[in-house]
Amino acid sequence: MNVQFKKGILEICVLVLLEKQDCYGYELVQRISDKIEIAEGSMYPLLRRLTKEGYFTTYLQESSEGPSRKYYKLTDKGKDYLHEQMQEWKEFSNAVNQLIEEGVQNND
Amino acid sequence: MTEKQFMDQLNASLKKLSTEEKQDILQDYQEHFAIGKAEGKTEEQIADALGSPNKIARELLAMYHLEKAETNVTAGNMFRAVWAGIGLGFFNLIIVLGPFIALLAVVAAGWVIGLAFSLSPLLVLINVVIYPGSFVLFDLFASIALCGLGLLITIGMYHLTNILTRGFIRYLKLNTSLVKGGLTND
Repeated sequence: MNVQFKKGILEICVLVLLEKQDCYGYELVQRISDKIEIAEGSMYPLLRRLTKEGYFTTYLQESSEGPSRKYYKLTDKGKDYLHEQMQEWKEFSNAVNQLIEEGVQNND
Repeated sequence: MTEKQFMDQLNASLKKLSTEEKQDILQDYQEHFAIGKAEGKTEEQIADALGSPNKIARELLAMYHLEKAETNVTAGNMFRAVWAGIGLGFFNLIIVLGPFIALLAVVAAGWVIGLAFSLSPLLVLINVVIYPGSFVLFDLFASIALCGLGLLITIGMYHLTNILTRGFIRYLKLNTSLVKGGLTND
């Protein structure tokens, strides 16, 4: 998939994952990179930016294995932002799907 | 690349950031390595999947310069933010530099016109001093009118420059957030 295109979508993915439950960075990175090919290192700048924008708060939690982990928690502002973004995404993907279907029909 | 090599490179590329912020960033990657290793991955595998530390640093630096330009609008901070934005890739060279040069040209032209108009009575004065016989009242009044217009333009330019600067910083922010999250694995 086109590189520029994937970048914007990554934000929605992170927000959606955090809406269900708080996650630590590694977990977020793995769950997304399982499905979408990404440079994993660039997820952390993204998480930092969204935290600075006030969409997440972070807290440290001890882990039974290894060092304590930094968890990300979605704020109310983050939730509002997510719903805005999801709405936009739905409209956008519906439009693209429609165009693709029309294209397929024309080719038959 | 080993964990140490990765961390050293990232650390070196982030020199400009404050120690506190740098520590915070490095800690995220240390944590990533630690959990990855606990899951049985090798340092090389983890570093490969993370991608180039230089690229990561470029994104973080662009973010840093933007924040600085936003809180403290000086020409130097603006230039550094533009420069860091361009550093994110060739795509950005055109998208960032083009509008920036156009904006700069418009602002510079506005200021030059405003100041030149404001100073026009001075030219009449100089003219009178050099060629005392050539004094014409029309010149004087025309230049005073121009001066008034020039002052208005200068005041207008002051506000316009402020608005344009803010607008451009927002544009840069939008641009960095689009280009950010670099998904290339190369």
